[in-house]
Amino acid sequence: MAAITSSVPFAEAPARRKTFPFLLIALLLPMAIINFVAFVLPVIRLGMISFIESRSGGVLTNNYTLENYADFFTDSFSIELVSNSLILGFGVTLITLCCAYPIALFLHRVSPKWRNMLFVITVSPLLVSSVVRTYGWMVILGDQGVFNGILMSSGIIDSPLRLTNNTLGVFIGMVEVLIPYMALSLIAGFGRLENVYEEAAASLGANSWTRFRRVILPLTAPGIALGCLLCFVLSISSFITPKLLGGGRVFLLATEIYDQAVIQLEWPTAAAISVIVLIIFGLALAVYSRVVKRFD
Amino acid sequence: MQTQELRQVIPAAETNTGDQAFLKLKGITKRYGVDYMAVDDLDIDVPKGKLLGLLGPSGCGKTTTLRMIAGLLDITRSKITIDGDDISHKPPHKRDIGLVFQNYALFPHMTVAQNVAFGLEMRGVGRVEARDRVEEALEMVRLPGYGERKPKEMSGGQQQRVALARALVIRPRLLLLDEPLSNLDAKLRDDMRIEIREIQQRLQITTVFVTHDQVEALTMCDLVGVMHKGKLAQLGTPEDIYERPADLFVADFVGRTNILDGEIEALDRVRIGASVYPCNTRGLTSGKAKAAIRPHRISLTPSRDRSLVSMATNAAHGKVTRVTYIGDVVQYDIDIGGNTLTTEVHTASAGHSFQSGEKLLCEWKPQDMQVFAQGSGN
Ligand SMILES: Nc1ncnc2c1ncn2[C@@H]1O[C@H](COP(=O)(O)OP(=O)(O)OP(=O)(O)O)[C@@H](O)[C@H]1O
Ligand SMILES: [Mg+2]
Repeated sequence: MAAITSSVPFAEAPARRKTFPFLLIALLLPMAIINFVAFVLPVIRLGMISFIESRSGGVLTNNYTLENYADFFTDSFSIELVSNSLILGFGVTLITLCCAYPIALFLHRVSPKWRNMLFVITVSPLLVSSVVRTYGWMVILGDQGVFNGILMSSGIIDSPLRLTNNTLGVFIGMVEVLIPYMALSLIAGFGRLENVYEEAAASLGANSWTRFRRVILPLTAPGIALGCLLCFVLSISSFITPKLLGGGRVFLLATEIYDQAVIQLEWPTAAAISVIVLIIFGLALAVYSRVVKRFD
Repeated sequence: MQTQELRQVIPAAETNTGDQAFLKLKGITKRYGVDYMAVDDLDIDVPKGKLLGLLGPSGCGKTTTLRMIAGLLDITRSKITIDGDDISHKPPHKRDIGLVFQNYALFPHMTVAQNVAFGLEMRGVGRVEARDRVEEALEMVRLPGYGERKPKEMSGGQQQRVALARALVIRPRLLLLDEPLSNLDAKLRDDMRIEIREIQQRLQITTVFVTHDQVEALTMCDLVGVMHKGKLAQLGTPEDIYERPADLFVADFVGRTNILDGEIEALDRVRIGASVYPCNTRGLTSGKAKAAIRPHRISLTPSRDRSLVSMATNAAHGKVTRVTYIGDVVQYDIDIGGNTLTTEVHTASAGHSFQSGEKLLCEWKPQDMQVFAQGSGN
């Protein structure tokens, strides 16, 4: 088997120029097919379902209507869902950025001897499923959890702090889940940051704050944009962590889609909300590409 | 010989008049790891408005020295003062030193004009004045109208000149240049050499100029410090360095030189092969030695009787083994009984051209033959 595969490039080497487009297409085709079948078609279907007239019990009719969207935009609860999701998205992204940026900067500057090891440590949480990590946070943050236990037994507080089953818990869990993703994207986008630019700025009279603002920040902007896009999308679409740490008391677009589709069996409604989430992602992507172009 | 000694003393005394020194480096030392001395105990004084060239082979510690002056590297037990102001422990942004990096370090996210304006902005120069000064600086480095480009849209040489403009525009009290001409073609390099020298003299900026190109050091600088393995081998005027090298390393590194093995017979007498030559042994009276003669200080004549040669000059019979045409000069390699002398004859003044295999007579003045103890300066 190995002999056969390794012989292919040699056999084709002389005719390389001619077969190149063929090779390119051959390599891209599998992913293109998978993407088409598993992403493009379902999204089109999703869009279509979102216009189907709602009928209870999960029955899909053949009547198309704008009612699902009209209902969504006239319902104050769904507006609350959008704002909750956006607040979570922006808030979690910002906090994650603040937590991960110093880590990424440190990793970028640390001597190569340590870098690989520290890098692995930084992304190691990804080795544990986010469900498990979320349960871990419930153990730590719960009313009878480790954190409250320590505070209460040491007499600092009398009654437990409410750290789970609310937005605060969701924020804590989400930030921790997303930090490795953010750190990875930041480091990937730090390619242009070199020490000499800071030195040049210093020799021209810039103090450390100015150097950060005028040199480090702009040079790392591509990484920041990438990390923020990724974390924004991940935090808006995540629903396990909000469900578990929110204890059913934090209402978001993602949790609502789950409820509508799986519990209420209101597929058209769920589809309409999904389309709205997709539109939000599209906007985020547009902002991202503008930011990247600007700092290139 | 007497006058030779005197000449050696005078410039040295001149450069050491401490009170007029503007930049003073005292015991500059940088150690990497446990025992690697990148820069070892440098003492250099540069008078105000002068251009000091730091010359040395790759890896001898030139950049390290410059970075210590700029404050980008911590110094180990040393003192740096500018105009009496001790800056040894000041952070770089408070030193008011212009620095041109070996690899330019232009900010990639800013245009050329923004790069040049950066230092002015840090000094709170107003927008209008800054724009004028940026334009003026870009004209000075012959890049007018390039302000809106990004550094990556420029050639290496152009970037280097932008870096120079960026450092000059702030009119620093000290300018540090780390091989600022290394990426220019020969013509532009000649022009920029004159340009930098002209700007430096007009603005009277005390400057330290790092280079591994000896022509650059000799032609541009008021003072040249030759560095070797982190140490200062010699500090003096270009003429000192070229005519009166302090040790074998300087003699060999600065300018082209023939180095011949020999033995000192007595004061100012060296034996090379079978012959004894009058020379400058610089006070040495015995021991194994190396004799250095510049190629162009050897004159060539068609072979004739040794007895016709004046006793005041050294002469050796030889045979041409190789002829190399270099353009303005022709190089002849001449075998003089076991040793090979490389000689140079200007093509314009050459009365005679020689063929390979031809026999001829090499002559040189005793004072052009400098003799160093074996192992001096490694
Ligand atoms: N960070 C470092 N750690 C260890 N050694 C270093 C470090 N930086 C430089 N060196 C060593 O110090 C010596 C001097 O380096 P430096 O950069 O000053 O050389 P240079 O004279 O500027 O050479 P070049 O002409 O090639 O630029 C070199 O041998 C180099 O290997
Ligand atoms: Mg260097």
